[in-house]
Amino acid sequence: MIQTVEIRNMSKRFGPTIALADVSITALGGEVLGLIGENGSGKSTVTSIYAGMQHADSGEMFFMGKPWSPTSMTDALRRGVGMIVQENGTVPGITVAENIFLGETQEFTRGLFVDRKKMTAQAQKALDDIGAGHISASVPAGMLDFQDRKLVEIAKVMAKAPSVLVVDETTTALSQKGRDIIYEIMARMKAEGKTVIFISHDLDEIMEQCDRLTVLRDGKIIRTFSAEEYDPDAIRTSMIGREIQGSYYRSDYEKDAGTETVLKADDLCLSDQLVHLSMELHAGEILGIGGLSHCGMHTLGKVLFGAEHAESGSFTVHGKTIRNEAEAMKEGLGYVAKDRDSESLCTEASIRDNISVAGLDKFAVKDVLILPGREKKYVGEQVAALQIKCSSADQYVSALSGGNKQKVAFGKWTGRGSDILILDCPTRGVDIGVKQAMYRLMYRMRQEGKSILLISEELAELIGMSDRLLVMKDGSISKEFLRSPELSEADVIRCMI
Amino acid sequence: MENEKIIRKEQTRERLLRLAPVMGLILLFAVFMAIAVIRDINIPYSFKNIINQSVIVVVGATGAVFIYTLGSFDISLGASLCVSALLGAMAYNRSGSLLVMLLTCVGVAVLISLISSVLASVFNLPVFVTTIAMLSLLNALALVLIGANGTGDVIQVPAAAVRGINNVWVKLAVMLIYLGFCVFMFNYTKLGRHEKFQGGNPVCAKLTGLNGKRLAIAAFAIAGIGVGLGAFLTITYAPTLSRNTASSVGMDIIISIVFGGMPVSGGARSRIWSAAIGAVSMTLLNQIMLTLSLDSGIGQMVKALIFILVVFISMSNNKGNILPR
Repeated sequence: MIQTVEIRNMSKRFGPTIALADVSITALGGEVLGLIGENGSGKSTVTSIYAGMQHADSGEMFFMGKPWSPTSMTDALRRGVGMIVQENGTVPGITVAENIFLGETQEFTRGLFVDRKKMTAQAQKALDDIGAGHISASVPAGMLDFQDRKLVEIAKVMAKAPSVLVVDETTTALSQKGRDIIYEIMARMKAEGKTVIFISHDLDEIMEQCDRLTVLRDGKIIRTFSAEEYDPDAIRTSMIGREIQGSYYRSDYEKDAGTETVLKADDLCLSDQLVHLSMELHAGEILGIGGLSHCGMHTLGKVLFGAEHAESGSFTVHGKTIRNEAEAMKEGLGYVAKDRDSESLCTEASIRDNISVAGLDKFAVKDVLILPGREKKYVGEQVAALQIKCSSADQYVSALSGGNKQKVAFGKWTGRGSDILILDCPTRGVDIGVKQAMYRLMYRMRQEGKSILLISEELAELIGMSDRLLVMKDGSISKEFLRSPELSEADVIRCMI
Repeated sequence: MENEKIIRKEQTRERLLRLAPVMGLILLFAVFMAIAVIRDINIPYSFKNIINQSVIVVVGATGAVFIYTLGSFDISLGASLCVSALLGAMAYNRSGSLLVMLLTCVGVAVLISLISSVLASVFNLPVFVTTIAMLSLLNALALVLIGANGTGDVIQVPAAAVRGINNVWVKLAVMLIYLGFCVFMFNYTKLGRHEKFQGGNPVCAKLTGLNGKRLAIAAFAIAGIGVGLGAFLTITYAPTLSRNTASSVGMDIIISIVFGGMPVSGGARSRIWSAAIGAVSMTLLNQIMLTLSLDSGIGQMVKALIFILVVFISMSNNKGNILPR
């Protein structure tokens, strides 16, 4: 097999942080190489440098045996290396077709004008080719949900038929259908002798899809596993540098959740997202909500926080009707959105600003005056309790890794003592170390009598953490499962599709 | 050890970039003093001029920082100041009371600001859209007021009536009191913190229980107070008012805010001192060019180049290094 990708002794710093230290990686044609490691281990940094997003401080790169130094992602893609990034990479105000051919509209110019019809047709073909034909190329990208926007990005990359494809933690944002599309693309590229570099936090997925697996930690290569050497425990230990102690999910199966109803929804309807949906959440309960990505569960989270309004039906928290987010917060609700950077955090603000903004009513004098000392104490307690890795609370959130960003999003609500948390995909894009910490936090909150509505696309997480699990299908609840060691993913999937 | 060194270096770099506008002001001040000494210029008189010229912009622009922090802007501030001053002068001419004049100026300016922001809330429009409409409306209103007053092309307050308060100390006092109020509101109250967060990410702000419309109305009300005080100071400095009164103030406010290192897009990194630093720096720069008898065209070019440089430095400070992990 030909060595398509070669990276030699690459190093990179971001200010004081060493992102890569003397990293060398090779990938072969007809191979899917997996990269795995904790948040901040350097996986995305090394691949983003290879894909032209940024430059290394030192080191050499080769593509098909020749020196490789792309000037930009567009340049890299044009020359055969494409990358699908972790966070949203589409422009919301323009059409799907314009996104797919962003920077290349000159290919469709006729005189002074752009032939939009031709561009839209070609974009639609690109979408059809990857199995995302349900997306119309003529609609604005902003109208699509997170998954479909991700599929648009994939179509954009695949339209250039790259020889090397980097898939950076993309699958965690996708439903099974979306994941299947990516797996099919990867399999096709492998069969054609091309190279795929696949980054994921999902150990089962990465072991299933990859021929080799390289583990990074703190910017260094720790070990490369061949498929025959795959051992989940050994890989986890390599990733975090210690053995994971105890159970990953909660281990108890006692039915000891409270009976007091803290949140009650009655006959909620909202277009095709919520169809006569009724449910109850009890004190000291983790209630899981699962289903396919479009089943309405993400909308349900927003509606129950007062951020979207149901067309009919009602819901109450502690017996009170909620009309907006502020009222929800007054009743002790907190909401961590699925789209972390866009909805849960102000990334250009500091950790301090992000955590304290939701709790100003808790520590501001007369609910008006902010005393720096009080604020420092309030934020410091959250930073310490959640073990947020930062140089200080004044560090900008944009400079944090995904896992630490998510901890800040949690800190907003734990700080103000929210007793009902709506968590929409809370462990999306975080490594196992952070995941384990989040699960422990959820369980601790449950033990303290707090309630958690856990919306997730990860069945293992739902089964492993929930006291009760509601499966949604087409806006309604199709089945309720009680916590049980016998409950399997297959049981749940049957009710989802 | 090496890491600590780099952390310190990064922190110093960030601090220096944050202090760049202040250092620019100090540099301009030093240059001005050097030229004044070499050319034997009357320094106290020059300072009086600088204060007279900058104080109105400082007051107007400091309030406007609240609007800019939301990521919005108000193009009608100059026109609002003109109308407030005209109505303030008319109120004085009817009542003979400086207090009535002050209250009218502030009341009218706040009312205009509130109309802009409430209309935007009612019709769900970006606030700057309503301020564009207000600009036309206020220009027309200024003409109507001058016409209705029946005193030709101007409205006048007797110079003797404002002579007592047309001094540097009164102006400095008004400016410092308002600056103090704005600094307090911006840095030490829930409102200020919410304004910055709203400007940084409106979607996240909504999902944190912040009411964007109320925040916009509050920001415009605070800016209105500044414009009203600016109108009052305008009357004391130039008691003969016309439709062209404060015609350049709107643009001066925008330039000062950016010149003072305010992030162009507003948000969490907005700084309340930007306006004051920017306004004084601009006035000093004008004075330097005036003292050097530079051709006005060259002067404009120098200002434009410095403006672009400041925006570049400000943006490079705000980009930050994002770790793609």
